[in-house]
Formats: sequence, structure tokens, C-alpha cells
Amino acid sequence: MSSTAGPVLVELDEEFWSGRLDRVATWLGNVVMTQSTFHRMAGDTAEKITEPHIREYLLEISEAAGEHEAAIGELYRIIDREPPTGRRFSAAVMARVQQAMGQLIGKAGGAPGDEWNHLRQLLLVNLDAIGAFATAQQLGLALGLNEFAESIFPIVREKEKHQLLIQEYMLEMGPQAILYKGDI
Amino acid sequence: MSVHTAPAAPGTLERLPTLVRPKVDPGDVVVPDGYAVDACVVGLSFPTGMGFADDGSLFILEGGSTWPTRPYLPARILRFHPGEGRVEQFATEVLGGPRGVAYRDGAIYVSVKGGYFTHIDRYDLETAEREVVVDGLPNGGWHEPGGPVFGPDGLMYFAQGSVSQNGVALPQGFTVDLAKHPKAHDVPGQDVTLTGNDVWSRDPIAPFPFLTRTAAFKPFGEPSTPGEVVRGELKCSSGLWRSRPDGSGLELLAWGLRNPYGMAFGEDGELYVSDNEYEEKGERAVAMDPDRIWRIGTVSQPHGSVDKPEWYGFPDFAGDGLPVWHEKHLPTKGQKALPLIQDPPPMAGPAVYLAPPHSCMTKMDFCRSDEFGHRGLLFQCQWGTLAPLNSPRPEDLTHGFNVTCVDVTSGEAFPFAHNPEPGPASHHPGRGGIERPVDCKFGPDGRSLYVLDFGAVKVTDGYLLAYGHTGVLWRITRR
Repeated sequence: MSSTAGPVLVELDEEFWSGRLDRVATWLGNVVMTQSTFHRMAGDTAEKITEPHIREYLLEISEAAGEHEAAIGELYRIIDREPPTGRRFSAAVMARVQQAMGQLIGKAGGAPGDEWNHLRQLLLVNLDAIGAFATAQQLGLALGLNEFAESIFPIVREKEKHQLLIQEYMLEMGPQAILYKGDI
Repeated sequence: MSVHTAPAAPGTLERLPTLVRPKVDPGDVVVPDGYAVDACVVGLSFPTGMGFADDGSLFILEGGSTWPTRPYLPARILRFHPGEGRVEQFATEVLGGPRGVAYRDGAIYVSVKGGYFTHIDRYDLETAEREVVVDGLPNGGWHEPGGPVFGPDGLMYFAQGSVSQNGVALPQGFTVDLAKHPKAHDVPGQDVTLTGNDVWSRDPIAPFPFLTRTAAFKPFGEPSTPGEVVRGELKCSSGLWRSRPDGSGLELLAWGLRNPYGMAFGEDGELYVSDNEYEEKGERAVAMDPDRIWRIGTVSQPHGSVDKPEWYGFPDFAGDGLPVWHEKHLPTKGQKALPLIQDPPPMAGPAVYLAPPHSCMTKMDFCRSDEFGHRGLLFQCQWGTLAPLNSPRPEDLTHGFNVTCVDVTSGEAFPFAHNPEPGPASHHPGRGGIERPVDCKFGPDGRSLYVLDFGAVKVTDGYLLAYGHTGVLWRITRR
């Protein structure tokens, strides 16, 4: 058996790798859209909430959501790709659609007020954004991109804390929204 | 699905696109004088094991979902032709992925971690047809199948590690057992009577993290009563078996092996098995448990005659033969362990070799070649520590990350292949040596030892991350 053959690269040559990074960049477009949608909805929902404690917490979440959205630019830099234009506009449209859907579903279920319906929809939109970030992290792990993967980890962790908080208030406010049919 | 490969252009290994392992440099692997190192395959994803066929080709397993379980990359069985420098895809496996492979009479036999159950698959090398020859070995937890290997008797030997990390299914193995396999639990190889020392922990999969009570040999959240008897089963966890190659004649030789990932027959005809230490973390923590190599005593008995398997200590005894609640094993991180089994069976052993805690012994091979040198010694991969995740002790931070030569008759050992500095190469900027050796096999020509390197893993005190495309197949050749 000869041992003169040189090393074999598995999925590491330049052309193949570049194609992989293009796929990561495409997925990051989804991260931008889902997180930007969440950021906008968190701000809108905070403005609509009249209960001062919940309003304050949602404003904090909205601020953090903006930081998480801005961090996506750094992910593009690591993989040497440009962020797409237009995804944030899509997010603005998506935020409106999600809010309308939340109101539609909530009202069909006997909750007439905007506040609670927005909060409930915010829970679903954040879950989508968590999944988008966490999936991006898996792509970084798959491709040996440590800076990429490890910078996402604290974002996912903080967003999951936010998810618990939104869920708690959604559940706390549910009886008033449905049984008392209040404005909340 | 085929695997995409390319020859490495000059200088490529100095600037790999995998930023966590940007360099692979055989010059950074320290071996004894008279041996040379080269890299054969670079870019493997989570490789877990390998084995030679009779034509000199080498089957390499990419583990799929490994340590940790995410991300799940293709669980491929690759075939490397060393003389041609060519890699092809032979087959893909199911979750969690393949772990061990052995060739026999025109077929390969592959252990597969599975979901709740480990299985052994046989692949005909001409048709690539797959047949499950052994199934239903309890799994769904953190630990691994061992083998298969073939003995001088022509029988197939294989193992399955424990479901729980430290004797009770607890949140510390969250992504494997609680999140994906909440019904998973250990199964004893003999009838055991429980002490009732159940373990209290938070339930991370409840709507609120309730305090909940869990017993040994039960799924998470199920308590026991003192004196309760759990029946032993042929297909247990922490077990080691043999069978004919078609899976018939299944016989349990031993149980109580925590993670028997490495298995190899010596020229003495004895079966040696590597086994990993308990973790110093969580609600049943055990400190300073050495990794060990066992010689399995029941192998010498005729096939079909073993009516009582040997017991190697899990879940109540450490590799040094002391109970896990002994003063030496009291943890500084986590809660101390209490006895789980009343009047346990006599413990087999002692180990033929004890390695430093958290060396994380994996697969191994005996040298049968005078040409390579060190004939008769066991070449043993030490994947390397998961401290500070599973041990708070600073001295555990650098254990492992090498191929160690073990004399199984004297218990003496020395590192054969290692980095110039302790720990994985990626801990030392600019270095391109070993990350985590997971398997080593001698080539059929008797001149070369192939070392499979799992790749880069980041460990913190709370979690670990593994990076795909960072695995390497090294070759160490006698000049």
C-alpha cells in the first residue's frame, strides 16, 4: 500500500466552501427579517400596553431586540458577505401582517382588546426569531466558524429569557382579556 | 448523496476556512524518534470510529449527532483508499449515527447509536445492502455503543454504555435524554434491589421547574421504594455481549460498564475495554474517578455458557474499586452520591490500567507488528477532558488529547502521540496538531498507525460546542 498520496479535503476546497457560505448568508436574511419583525412588534406592543410594569419590561425587550438585530451585521462580516437590502422593509410589512393576524385570531377566540392580542402574537414572533438565530448558530458550528457560532449563543439565551417573560404576561393577562373582555 | 472531496493544494492546510481550526500541521504532533506523521484526510465532521477492510481500504464513520448532539451532520460511512488518496461515500446511517465498524468476510458491521435503542448493522460490501443483525440495546442517553470487534473465536463482541451519566437520569444530560428521550432509563443486567436513595432535582421540561424525584433504573421523574426489585435483562444498558455475526446466540458477558467505547482483542486472546469516569457535576456528582481499561474475564468461557455476567461497578463503584460515596470521590461541584443498589454483586476487576480522571479514553488497537515497533502494547486514544464542564478541578483541564501506549500486563503507560503543549492544539494559537483523538487503527501493512481526530470542541463550565469539518485522519509511520 502506497502512502505517497497527499491529503484529501472533505468539503473544504475554496469553491465548495464559498457555496456553503452563500447558503449561510441566505439564511441570515431570514434572521434579519424575523428579528426585525420582532423588534418592531415589541416596540409597537410596548406603546399599546397601558399597564406600567409590563410596558416597562417590553420597552427593555424592544431595546435588546434592536441590539440583537444590529449584531446580525457582524455575522455577515465574519462570513465575508453583504447584508441584503429590502429584508427590513419586508419586516415592516411582516410586523403589520402579524399584528393583524394576532387581532383576527384573538378576536375570533373572544378576546376583543388589542393589547393582549398583540402580546400573544409577540410570543410567536419571538419564537420564530429564536429559531432563526439558533439555526444560524448550528450553521456556524457545522462549518467550524467559532466566532460566528459563539457570538449567537448569548443572543439566543437572552431571547429565551424574553420569551419566558412574554409568556408569563400573556398568561397572566389572558383571563382578563377573555373573561372580562377588557381593553387589554 | 455523495461526499465532495478535493486534493489539498500546497499550503492549504496552513489556512483552512474552518476558523476554529485554521491549521493542520503534522509537524506539531510529537511522536518518538524514528516515526513520521502526515495528514491523510482533513475536513471530516464528527468522526467517531474506523476500521480496515481486507483490501486495505479504511472505513471512516462520521458520527452524525455526537458530543453534543447538535448539529446533526450527515451520518456517513466513508471509505478511504490510502494508496490512491481517495475518499468515497459508502452509506449513510440514521440518528444518532454510526460509532464503530469492523470488517468480516466481505461485510462491515457497524454499531449505530439510534434513538431509544442502539443497533448493529451489517453491510454487504458488494451490494451495500444493509441488514440489522442486533437491535434493542437500551440507549437514548449520553453514552455510546462499543465495538463491534471480532474475537479469535469468530464471534462478534459489542457493548452499550449507560443511559444516565452518573446512575440516575437527571437534567445534566438534558439535550440527549430529557429533551429527546424522556422515557430513557438504565436497565440492569442482573436483578437489583434498590436502596430508595432517589435523587431530587429540578424538572427543566415542566411548565415550572418543579422539584422532582428520580430513581436509578427509572425514567426521569419516577421514584422508587426502598427494597424495590428491578429485574435484570439480557439487553441491558452498560452491558457487553457476544453473538454470532448474524446476531444469533446473544450472550451477556458483563454489565456495569459506564461508557465502554473502546474494545480490542490482544494477541493474548483477551478482550480489553476502555471505560470513562463519572462526572463531578449535578445532583449525583462523583469526583476523581479514573478512566480505566478492563480485561473482561468471562470472554474465556465457552460461548453460551455464561450464566452470570460480571459486574464492573456502574452505578455505585468507581474505576479504582471504591464506592462513589467514598471520601476520595466526594465532589466539590454538585451533590454527593449515595448507594443505589442494595447488596450489589461482587465487582469484577481490578482495572489493568487507570488513567487520570477525565482523560476520556475512546477507541484503541493493539500493535501486532514488529515493523512498527512496540508490539503487544495497546495504543489507546484519549479524547480529552470535558473540564470545566464535568470537573471543577484545574488539574483536569489538560488530561487526555493524546494517543497513549499501555502495557496491559504491567499497567505502565506513556504518551506516544501528543501536542508540544498540554491540551488541544486550538488552545495554542498558531499550532496545528492534535485536537481530540477518537480512534486509532494499525494499517494492514504493519507500518502505519492511523489516528482519527474528532476535531475542535469548545468547553465551558456550562456547555460544550463541537465544530464540524474539523476532523482529521492522521497517519504515523515508522521511517
